[in-house]
Amino acid sequence: MTKRFFARQWKRMIIMSLFILLVVLSLEIGSMSDIGMMAAIRGDENARLVFVHSRLPRTIAVVLAAAGLSVAGLLMQAVSRNKFMSSTTAGTIDAAALGSLLPFIFFGQQSGWVQTLFAFVFALLSTLLFTAVINRLKIREVVYIPLLGMMYGGLILALSTALSFRFAEVGAMEFLQQIYLGSFARLGDFRFVWIVSIPLVLAVVFATKFSIIGLGADFAKNLGLNYNRVVMLALVIVALISASTFVAVGPLPFIGLIIPNMATSFYGDNLKKSIVDLMLFGAVFVLLCDIVSRLVMFPFEMNVSVTISVVGGVVFMMYLLRGMYGGKLRRRKATVA
Amino acid sequence: MIQVQNIVQSYGRDKEILKDVSLTVREHEITALIGANGAGKSTLLSVMTNLVPAQSGQVLLHGQDIRNIKSNELAKHIAFLKQSQQLAIRITVNDLVEFGRFPHCGGKLGDEDKRKVAEALDYLNMGDMAEKYLDKISGGQRQRAFIAMILAQDTPYIFLDEPLNNLDIRYSVEMMKNVQRLVSALGKTVIVVLHDINFASAYAHHIVAMRDGKIAKEGPPCEVVTAQVLDPVFEHKFHIIDHDGKQVSLYYDHDEASACKFCG
Ligand SMILES: Nc1ncnc2c1ncn2[C@@H]1O[C@H](COP(=O)(O)OP(=O)(O)OP(=O)(O)O)[C@@H](O)[C@H]1O
Ligand SMILES: [Mg+2]
Repeated sequence: MTKRFFARQWKRMIIMSLFILLVVLSLEIGSMSDIGMMAAIRGDENARLVFVHSRLPRTIAVVLAAAGLSVAGLLMQAVSRNKFMSSTTAGTIDAAALGSLLPFIFFGQQSGWVQTLFAFVFALLSTLLFTAVINRLKIREVVYIPLLGMMYGGLILALSTALSFRFAEVGAMEFLQQIYLGSFARLGDFRFVWIVSIPLVLAVVFATKFSIIGLGADFAKNLGLNYNRVVMLALVIVALISASTFVAVGPLPFIGLIIPNMATSFYGDNLKKSIVDLMLFGAVFVLLCDIVSRLVMFPFEMNVSVTISVVGGVVFMMYLLRGMYGGKLRRRKATVA
Repeated sequence: MIQVQNIVQSYGRDKEILKDVSLTVREHEITALIGANGAGKSTLLSVMTNLVPAQSGQVLLHGQDIRNIKSNELAKHIAFLKQSQQLAIRITVNDLVEFGRFPHCGGKLGDEDKRKVAEALDYLNMGDMAEKYLDKISGGQRQRAFIAMILAQDTPYIFLDEPLNNLDIRYSVEMMKNVQRLVSALGKTVIVVLHDINFASAYAHHIVAMRDGKIAKEGPPCEVVTAQVLDPVFEHKFHIIDHDGKQVSLYYDHDEASACKFCG
């Protein structure tokens, strides 16, 4: 027991140190090399401004978005009891995009709040719809669900694209293109990433309930849990995280899928114990991707979603193949008959 | 006290699965539920635990209709281990048993809860396996982990649907002895679905035999474990022998069972 406890603490220490190291690195990198944290602390006014208004918010955005998407992915996986579910593989991101596009088309450029609200409503409705349909279909093979979900997302994207063509004269096409670019270099909207902290706190508070619903409706009912209500709460949290990160930094594909899968193989699925580790894990991954994106073409930067797509896509493919050919994921679904 | 009154139940618009079942659970005893596959045993357990609300008729817990009891409250009185458990998430034995305390503490374990968890693990000899992940242990060990969770839930009524699944003979006997101790030492009331008639005969105080959605016969083992009762229930020919005052059933066909090839 104590040995295990120390092993857990040890793993946490490692990820924690890594996290701190990357945060510092992330704050230090920029086109003006003399503007680091140190310069800001020394009291160089110019350095302080750049630091407070550009570097710091950016790093906070990376950390919050990454932690949020990781938690959102894990919640979706618990609710659907499918390790392949995430906001990328259930059309949630595309629904959020459609939600941001509509007010732009009909009422012109809106504040981030309005965008986030619409994105949230659409993400929630779409996730509810998708989960309901999936439950109806009773698909046995878990790997088909993310494929279906991506087709469903593609369908929503096609709808958004068609709408943006139709309303090209108000600049809908440019708008759609812009919101689909995942980047931490976006202007001004960093504020909205703070919204992510609300669902994150909720996820921590209700962690045990979310783990229990991961064991199935009957299991949850036996323990006196209102299954439907907890599922609803989880989906609201997922939609809130997806919408606010989408509006703030754009789509960050695969995070919600690969981070929970990687993290739970280290820390297990008991959210009460592992949710902080999960968030740190996600943050470390995205910080790394962000730093790489900023360094490859230095002093220019690549969109972080490109880096994430490349790395995430490869890992996703690995999981998918393992799932198809009877790997670890399949075995985990084994039943005690 | 649990009373089942005139339960009629069906899934969807299909034919009736339970046809007017009434039953009073005997307190502080082991009641074994036996019957052929599809007789409706699991369905009856689901209704008695309100996992599936009764459609017609009612189930009373201390005189109160369980459909009207708040689910969190009910979970402190009735624990139900389903026939099969799905494991889509990766947790340790200890995590699972801690979930059993959820109705009492809502996820934040106090000293009392931790003590109950440790006791439950001890009771099923799972102490040294507590930190193992459920997907890394054998089916039988997993089964015991789930029973430990039910035990940690610490309810006066315990419903077990085929708990001997996946257990070898030694652990089956051990499991039934544990169940016996639950009743004798802790004063619990246990309703258990068993497929092996001999286990029912040896360990249950009371046996309920179901056939085709109805209770065919209930009573003490000596009255139920007879060829006359069992033959129609299982549509199979039983041969009952007396062994030290307990009835033992032989269920293979006598004529077809061949003698050992080597010793003639
Ligand atoms: N969820 C369900 N939907 C529709 N029909 C069901 C469902 N569950 C059970 N049934 C049907 O109800 C009948 C009784 O099933 P039940 O599971 O209660 O039997 P059982 O006595 O527990 O059998 P077993 O020994 O195989 O566990 C069966 O004919 C089964 O096909
Ligand atoms: Mg059954």
